[in-house]
Amino acid sequence: MSFHPLMEYDPGRFHHSERKIADEGAPFVFTPERRAKLDEILTEYPPERKRSAVLAALYLVQEQEGYLTANGMRHVAGILDLTPAEVEDVATYYVMFFKEKVGKYVLQVCRTLSCALNGAERVTESLSEKLGIKVGETDPSGMFTLLEFECLGACDRAPVVMVNNEHWHEHATPESCSKLIDDIKAKGEAALSGCHLKVEK
Amino acid sequence: MYDRQVMDTVTLTIDGRQVTVEKGRTVLQAAIESGIKIPYYCYHPGLGIDGSCRVCIVKIEKMPKLQTSCSTTVTEGMVVHTRTPEVVEARASVFEFLLINHPLDCPVCDKGGECPLQDFSYSFGPNESRMEFPRRVFDGEGVRADVDFGPTLMLNRNRCILCTRCVRFMREIDTDAQINITDRGYGSEIATFQEQGVHSLLSGNLMDVCPVGAITTKDYRFKARPWDNPEAVDTICTLCEKGCNTTAWIKAKPEWAKGPQLIRMTPRLNPDVNGYWMCDIGRFDYHWIEGDHRLQRPLVRSEAGTLEPTDWTNALSKVADKVTAAGGTGALRFFVSAQASLEELFLIGRLGGAFGLPESGVAVGWRQREKPQPKHAKFKIPPTDAPNVNGARVLGFPVKTGSDGTADISAFRAAVEQGRISALYVFDPGPDGYIGDVSWLVEAKRAGRLPLLIVHGVVMTELASVADIVLPGAAWVEKDAAYVNAQGRLQGASRAMAPPGDAQEDWQVFVNVGLALGAGLTYTSSAAVRADLAATLSANEAFAGLTSLAFSRPVTARHWLQASNPSERWKWDFMFQDLPPVKFAGTPRATSPPQTIALREVD
Repeated sequence: MSFHPLMEYDPGRFHHSERKIADEGAPFVFTPERRAKLDEILTEYPPERKRSAVLAALYLVQEQEGYLTANGMRHVAGILDLTPAEVEDVATYYVMFFKEKVGKYVLQVCRTLSCALNGAERVTESLSEKLGIKVGETDPSGMFTLLEFECLGACDRAPVVMVNNEHWHEHATPESCSKLIDDIKAKGEAALSGCHLKVEK
Repeated sequence: MYDRQVMDTVTLTIDGRQVTVEKGRTVLQAAIESGIKIPYYCYHPGLGIDGSCRVCIVKIEKMPKLQTSCSTTVTEGMVVHTRTPEVVEARASVFEFLLINHPLDCPVCDKGGECPLQDFSYSFGPNESRMEFPRRVFDGEGVRADVDFGPTLMLNRNRCILCTRCVRFMREIDTDAQINITDRGYGSEIATFQEQGVHSLLSGNLMDVCPVGAITTKDYRFKARPWDNPEAVDTICTLCEKGCNTTAWIKAKPEWAKGPQLIRMTPRLNPDVNGYWMCDIGRFDYHWIEGDHRLQRPLVRSEAGTLEPTDWTNALSKVADKVTAAGGTGALRFFVSAQASLEELFLIGRLGGAFGLPESGVAVGWRQREKPQPKHAKFKIPPTDAPNVNGARVLGFPVKTGSDGTADISAFRAAVEQGRISALYVFDPGPDGYIGDVSWLVEAKRAGRLPLLIVHGVVMTELASVADIVLPGAAWVEKDAAYVNAQGRLQGASRAMAPPGDAQEDWQVFVNVGLALGAGLTYTSSAAVRADLAATLSANEAFAGLTSLAFSRPVTARHWLQASNPSERWKWDFMFQDLPPVKFAGTPRATSPPQTIALREVD
């Protein structure tokens, strides 16, 4: 900035942060349908509080891009009169927003107490072996991403694997998970059943 | 904010003491105002309340749990305890948590010695840490953790205690929320979007609000420790018409040591002018004062056409000779930067009177530049880069402004360009460029349309380099001088250090020039000039304070060892503490130093 002329400043001399920064991604604009959906959501809030729609807007970005890109966050900030930093603040707080590219099916294994006691680690290991990837990675075909998650609130059916933030796979065992992977490969979305509440109805 | 006239008050009891405060205050504010010590980090009087650090917890009777005093409003009859065992123990636990991951690098940390975390931990924290496992580390160990945080700042996330003062400063005062907290829980870090850093003209304030050494300025980093700067002088900033109240810090060093004495500028609380803040221009643009381009000796153009250093006697006799040769004192004209103080303007007026100059004999110029800031910023930097435009106006100088606030000196410029001025005296005590655009003047001099040009200034500008005679003056931290800011407020800048080399305070230069040119000015100090000025302005109420302006003197330590002596430390806590409200709260209390150890004699 021209108003800081006397600062002895050479960016090359200084250390740079190790923080993982968001992927720039492709230039981002909401598709007309998603923009219309966001505009509809915005009507639920008073105009001066439209920043409240930030979570909904970020979900729409994730729906469109698969994960949150820096360009997507900038676009949301522009619409909601926020700064990109404020959007990033929210985006990085919530774990259901992906900060890097993920596969089509994101398998999230609960690792909190009840699940851990009921063998969640075995489930993770078997999934890892079956898919040939480590936790946090995406397989080469871009189909599956394996993540560990904190409590999903289904302790009575531990261990739990959540797929794509909405489908629960309960009482998971290494065998049932192996079958789940095969089913998804064979039938795609149809192999997923929502959560137990839906199944029991 | 500190209006004492408010009638609505609330009386409560803190630690058995009856305390009466304004309604709507918080328990913490009430305690600070009455001198009861409660530690705090996330609370800052200039920012909104957050309640995130939790160290200000107190026991309030009839409330089931301990409360954060910063976010609890006082009510009538409230009974607060800050020293019961329950509070003391809980507070120490909070400190233990804050210090779990805080690195023990105080010996190399820039904040060391003026760090609230250090001070409060000693006073209120646990005696020792029970933490034996490795500390969480961001970005690297030790100094590797200092990462780039924009053009002016560095950030060390390991030291951060997540008080969010910086986040709130950017959101509330700068109004461009560039800082956020990424991630959550144990992984929370202060960050900017895509690590692009803070780009703001108020960025320096982030160092002030940071209660630990997490945010430091590139300018001051590793330059001095508080005990190296035993002299601090309360003054004002004169780089724009706002007139922020500041403190100039003078580093003590042996004469043979290299480097500057003036080590930093920090804002000083004045609720009517600048609040707790100052801008980066005032904070960082002081290096020219001890820079390589400072004028240290009078310069006179030789026969060969070069500027040669000389002494004052010779320079002043040359002034007299050349002015006589150029048509006498009646032909002399003045071009003055609005960086000039009231005393200097007054003396120029006296000289003009003695020489019988017409009203148009003096032109006043300054620079106007818009500062890029968010539209709704709470702290605005005015575009006029001169502290005393109002002062010149009050003293009756023909101050003309164009429609956009720029100085209108067209008549004067036309006179110079048409060669109607034979002798010109330019007075510019500000840094290069603050007088406004003078390239046309340089041009006219080069083209030979200006027979005599005398430049009285502080730095070797392009204008000075074409002058016939150059007289070295003093920058604003080198003289006691009064200014009138944009609000019409009379303020004084104090002499913190001596002018370099043979340079003299400007009032003295004018008196000497006056003597050389036969105008009998007999002042012996700037105070005498002010007294005379006050007498002429006695009708103007705004200047009633002119003779009683308080000019602060450096608070001296006889040797830096004395200032760093722990038994002297109470002075620092009492006089220079970095948390303004305590310093500002009411009249200084008679605090007696704790049992002091007799100082060792230091030579």
